[in-house]
Amino acid sequence: MEAGRLEAIAREALSAAAELAAGAEAQVSVRSGRSAHTRFARSEVTSSGDVEETKVDVALAFGSRHASTSTNQVDPASLREAVARAARLARISPEDPESMPVLGPQAYGAVPSEWDEATEALGAEARARAAAEAIRAGKARKLVVAGFYEHWAQASALATSAGLRAQHASTGAEFTITARTRDGSGSGWAGAHSARAADLDPPGLVQVAVEKGIRSAQPRRLEPGRYTVVLEPAAVGELLAFYTRAADARAADEGRSFFSRPGGGTRLGEKLFGDAVTLVSDPADPELPVAPFDREGLPRRRVRWIDRGVVAALHTTRFWARRQATAPTAEPGAYHLLGGQAASVEELVAGVERGVLITRFWYTRWLDRQAILITGLTRDGVFLIEKGQLVAPVNNFRFNESPVAMLGNADAMTRRTVRVPGGGIRVPALRSHEFQLASISEAV
Amino acid sequence: MAFTRRQFLLTSGSAALAAIGAAAGARLASARGLLTDPVLDALVVGALAAAKKAGASYADIRLVRRRYESVAAREDHVVDVSFSESYGLGIRVIAKGAWGFAASSRVEEKEVERVAALAVEIARANAKVVQRPIVLAPVAAHVDVWQTPLTRDPFKIPLEEKAEFLLAINRGVLAVPGVQYCSSSCTAFGEWKLFASSDGGYLEQSITRISPGYGATAVDAKTGEFVSREHELPPMQAGWEYAEDSTLLADARRIGEDAVEKLKAPGVEPGRKDLILAPSNLWLTIHESVGHPTELDRALGYEANFAGTSFATPDQLGKLRYAAPGVTLYADKTTAGGLATCGYDDDGVRTQRWDLVRDGLFVGYQTTREQAGWIGEKASRGTSYAQDFKSFPFQRMPNVSLAPAAEGGSLEDLIAETDDGIYVTGDGSWSIDHQRYNFQFGGQMFYEVKKGKLTRALKDVAYQSNTPEFWNSCDRIGGAAGWRLYGAMSDGKGEPVQTNAVSHGCPPARFRSVNILNTGERKGA
Repeated sequence: MEAGRLEAIAREALSAAAELAAGAEAQVSVRSGRSAHTRFARSEVTSSGDVEETKVDVALAFGSRHASTSTNQVDPASLREAVARAARLARISPEDPESMPVLGPQAYGAVPSEWDEATEALGAEARARAAAEAIRAGKARKLVVAGFYEHWAQASALATSAGLRAQHASTGAEFTITARTRDGSGSGWAGAHSARAADLDPPGLVQVAVEKGIRSAQPRRLEPGRYTVVLEPAAVGELLAFYTRAADARAADEGRSFFSRPGGGTRLGEKLFGDAVTLVSDPADPELPVAPFDREGLPRRRVRWIDRGVVAALHTTRFWARRQATAPTAEPGAYHLLGGQAASVEELVAGVERGVLITRFWYTRWLDRQAILITGLTRDGVFLIEKGQLVAPVNNFRFNESPVAMLGNADAMTRRTVRVPGGGIRVPALRSHEFQLASISEAV
Repeated sequence: MAFTRRQFLLTSGSAALAAIGAAAGARLASARGLLTDPVLDALVVGALAAAKKAGASYADIRLVRRRYESVAAREDHVVDVSFSESYGLGIRVIAKGAWGFAASSRVEEKEVERVAALAVEIARANAKVVQRPIVLAPVAAHVDVWQTPLTRDPFKIPLEEKAEFLLAINRGVLAVPGVQYCSSSCTAFGEWKLFASSDGGYLEQSITRISPGYGATAVDAKTGEFVSREHELPPMQAGWEYAEDSTLLADARRIGEDAVEKLKAPGVEPGRKDLILAPSNLWLTIHESVGHPTELDRALGYEANFAGTSFATPDQLGKLRYAAPGVTLYADKTTAGGLATCGYDDDGVRTQRWDLVRDGLFVGYQTTREQAGWIGEKASRGTSYAQDFKSFPFQRMPNVSLAPAAEGGSLEDLIAETDDGIYVTGDGSWSIDHQRYNFQFGGQMFYEVKKGKLTRALKDVAYQSNTPEFWNSCDRIGGAAGWRLYGAMSDGKGEPVQTNAVSHGCPPARFRSVNILNTGERKGA
């Protein structure tokens, strides 16, 4: 039903383009959906909302002169205006040598469903109940909780003047929770993301956050330095995302990337990591469902970005692929760092003589693009490990470190991988060495 | 029934108003500079009535249209021309003491009724999980219109003019030997909103912001080393005249030369040094270490699951030595050109200026109507904001600035008085912890200061400190002549995250014995 409506809007925009921009290539993308959320803090609900919106993107090109417009008003007059404006802008745009023709019909592989009726049907009552349960569980242990529960349902359709037609529907939900001790000296966090709200298990997440909050109270002072670390999945995912953002073929070829080789060429094919490190994007992964196509309609395929420690692929746009006579990579939508051999986080900890367990990172930012050096802070549960045991909570740290070093120094990962909040990445917990915890943060 | 603005003005004295038949319409007619298409008035009045009927004790509606036009160029060609627009309505209510909010992109009479009822339904669901019923501080029933003062509407500037402006910059940058790449862009943002509340507010505001900029990249092919140098011109609430009258084009060659100089510059020797921060760098440090910690909701735990809390808790108000004597930091949503400047906030409260830190002492918070009572204040500071029609309005940062020193000198004076330090311009990397203690900032250009003189450029510099320690180490603040306004278009806060545009003004200032890091140590690893 919804998909039919979106296709009709796409067709309407394309026919307006044929009329108002004769001779132009056109691409129309329509997305429509509902998202709703409930936010709670200081052990009560603080705000919530429920939003419906339909968005249309129109891209037109007269030869290599192109422009795009976007609107969320889809009545016939507004659609025509969006098309007419794109045509006006495209006609007067300078020629762009990087312009690429729109795609024609594509063959997409079957992908696991990303749609869940129950998630689509969720409402304010269900969210308020989950919040109330979380607040009760926190109070029972004398903790103050804050959290966020969000869910959405969205359909999309993509069409081009060259005959491409694609559509996809998805649902999703995310629950995150922070539990703080009343004296403000301890804080724990947990979160999950899934296409199905039923997978989230808010009570289980609350339990994890509450336990961490209690165990992290009254932290001991630990000096900055290079440490062996056990990074829980949220921390791994946060840092790994910088690697995926940096892995761009054009920047590497242009000499302005970690992936550039001094003197020319790129690091494609270099073995930078251990055999256990493999990073893939796989549209057939049922635990990480994505649309079978990207924004331009390129089919998403399984890609090994890192293959047993070797840099195996870099993101390549259609323009850069043409220029370099290689194949483009569709924007992948999601990444999966494959798991290792360890049965659990506890097993990773058991192998540490002296080190630090880190729950998650915060405020991560680029420090140096050449080394993919990132700064950020630890948060919501940092524990000293001695002789294979968690012995005490410790202060938070600022780190200055690279995901390249994190992966390069990794010696063990959990078998199980989880999709961390944000949704685009599925990772194991891992153990790494020589991780630079650069200065102390007094924050809790 | 749809009127053009002109038609409405011509007839507003009689027939049109009779047709609308709403008290708010009559008030609008007397407001200066009327912009509104009166057909919207019926929707607004209908929304408030529907919310009341469904059981709301308070309701407000915002109709918001956002426009965005961007042109981007790299090297000798334009790579992107785009325009986007979003329009819709958001209705916020209080029912049974709890907030409810719903929004839709369909601005139609029936949809308004559905959205109003849904907002009340959500409030009722939330009411079971609320401990303290929402109490709003009183507000005057303002009826007014507010617009960004500008001379050239950036949405009316021909695309060719914008494209040639960018390409001319790129040519200037790329004329410098050793510079391989240059990317430039100019984005215009338009935000129009009509706000009405059951407390009698009826406000129309139109805000225009512009963000032009560019960056040069120099690569040493032999060593594989590369650096980027971004121009430091900040985004501003202004029209196209701001870009046109700026030094962007005139600076092109210098920016290219800076990139080459930076590439060849030695890495900094880490250790403690005195820092002289230009306004183009210090603004971001003010934003992170003063702007965010003094948000009252954050200080009380409302952001604990996301952005974090604050070391500046209410028990410290009037007691905490936040900064050295002589340091005054103030909030101001009326600063000319400020990105957060407007006539009224999204609670309908008139904007104002007040101190957050006065002569070093922590004295104030940023509040909304909901929050004023939490610290015993009788009126809101007017800092409520929602990024678009579909977002819930909550406390957002006003422009927060450092006051110049009455007898403060110039940048040259600060340099002349410094024996061993680093002068930093522009913003680079920035990161701060979730209670706003530990921060680490980079910059664009770094210059060694020795015995009162700038000696040479340095690179790979970051400074790391702790907020109270840093601000208490401030021993020189420049005078009013060197005060400049910088800012950011998209500061994030809240869940779902919302962005807010905000400016920060300051003169150059000096900070003693700050920890300096070399961030280049892993290069080539």
